[in-house]
Amino acid sequence: MTFKEKIESGTFIVCGEIGPPKSCDGDVIREKSKYFKGVVDAVNITDNQTAIVRLSSIASAKILLEVGVEPIMQMTCRDRNRIAIQSDLLGAAALGIHNVLCLTGDYQKFGDQPEAKGVFDLDSVQLIATAAKMNSGLLLSEQEMKKVPDFFIGAAANPFAEPFEMRLIRLHKKVKAGARFIQTQPVFDMDIFTRWMEKVVEMGLHEKCAILAGVMPVKSVKALHHMKKEVPGVKINDEYINRLENASDPKEEGVKIAIEMIQALQKIKGVRGIHIMPVMWESITPVIVKEAGLGAI
Amino acid sequence: MSFEFVTSGKPPISPREKKFSRFLLFFEDVAKVPVFGCQHCGECILSSTAFICSQRCPKRMRNGPCGGTGAGGSCEVYPERKCVWYRIYYRSKMLNRLNLLYKINKIHNWNLEGTSAWLNVFMKRIDAPIWFVRNDKKKVKEMLSDDIQRKN
Repeated sequence: MTFKEKIESGTFIVCGEIGPPKSCDGDVIREKSKYFKGVVDAVNITDNQTAIVRLSSIASAKILLEVGVEPIMQMTCRDRNRIAIQSDLLGAAALGIHNVLCLTGDYQKFGDQPEAKGVFDLDSVQLIATAAKMNSGLLLSEQEMKKVPDFFIGAAANPFAEPFEMRLIRLHKKVKAGARFIQTQPVFDMDIFTRWMEKVVEMGLHEKCAILAGVMPVKSVKALHHMKKEVPGVKINDEYINRLENASDPKEEGVKIAIEMIQALQKIKGVRGIHIMPVMWESITPVIVKEAGLGAI
Repeated sequence: MSFEFVTSGKPPISPREKKFSRFLLFFEDVAKVPVFGCQHCGECILSSTAFICSQRCPKRMRNGPCGGTGAGGSCEVYPERKCVWYRIYYRSKMLNRLNLLYKINKIHNWNLEGTSAWLNVFMKRIDAPIWFVRNDKKKVKEMLSDDIQRKN
């Protein structure tokens, strides 16, 4: 079963995430894919995240396909104008990559080359609309394509950034534009997420798209403190910081928190799956999936 | 599904019209730059964004904020500034114009960059501004129920 069929059949989805290397070494991805094969339903391939140059997401996704792991290719608007976006989407479809996660992209200031020119020709809602239009057989120029691609379009949502209601409006726009699955930012504050999910269910959006909640296992308190201070749009409940601070083995405690979170998320109405995104700690994903009692594929 | 929010190939503006556009732009600037901080995108959506220019966003987002709005509504790129979409949301709420935020804005047509939006409205290249909104809450509800009924 493909990722799309699994979402349509309504099973509980587990996604992983791989960050491509900062070199042309494709073996790094083959090596990392071993943690995910037979464990998760699909794996996100990040597209130059935090504006740092990495192996391209299309090439990495193709490598994953070759080793038998289904990729979700991320596509950002930071580096491409509408011509390059359509061309890259067509290229991905030709290589057999159908799952696309449409993002606006991190601003180039946060990367290692802050002097770069950001493109931002489209924004994420318009990128979703573009992919949906291509699914119907037309390019943006209204030209018909001889072979029609079949993208399974996803988008991101951040329930924790302000203003709360604007996030729902934006989610509504993304679903209206054609997003079929939504991956959220990592959940570190259950109260806000539950409140957000209630609103999503109230608006009826959970029936039109599959919502996959983000879970981020952390190695140390330092990582949490860094996220709270430096990363905008992230809310972290002090409870988790205290727990990690008092733990004798923070790594083990981090895994424990992630598992507890997954079990709590499973109970929330409308959550159709989870998206595990450890930062540079891919090896932990199979452990978490196994201990949470998921992922018998 | 409809794709009316994706611009189709529109013919470029003739040189003669461009001259007239530049002339009009002078008067438009006098009104728009000091009050709204106009960025001359030529495709004005001020009326649907509660009269705050969305193009002052570093990412030039036309469809709502990115995921980086910090605590208290600070911009992720320039933390000393407020996120324009944060301001747009609260002013829309105050002015009862929330239903306009549900509209998906078209992809920017770069041919119109630096031209007079007033002329573009007159020539029907872009949508006319919406001055008054009545029954905002009812319209939001209608918009939500419409989309649930419609199957993709």
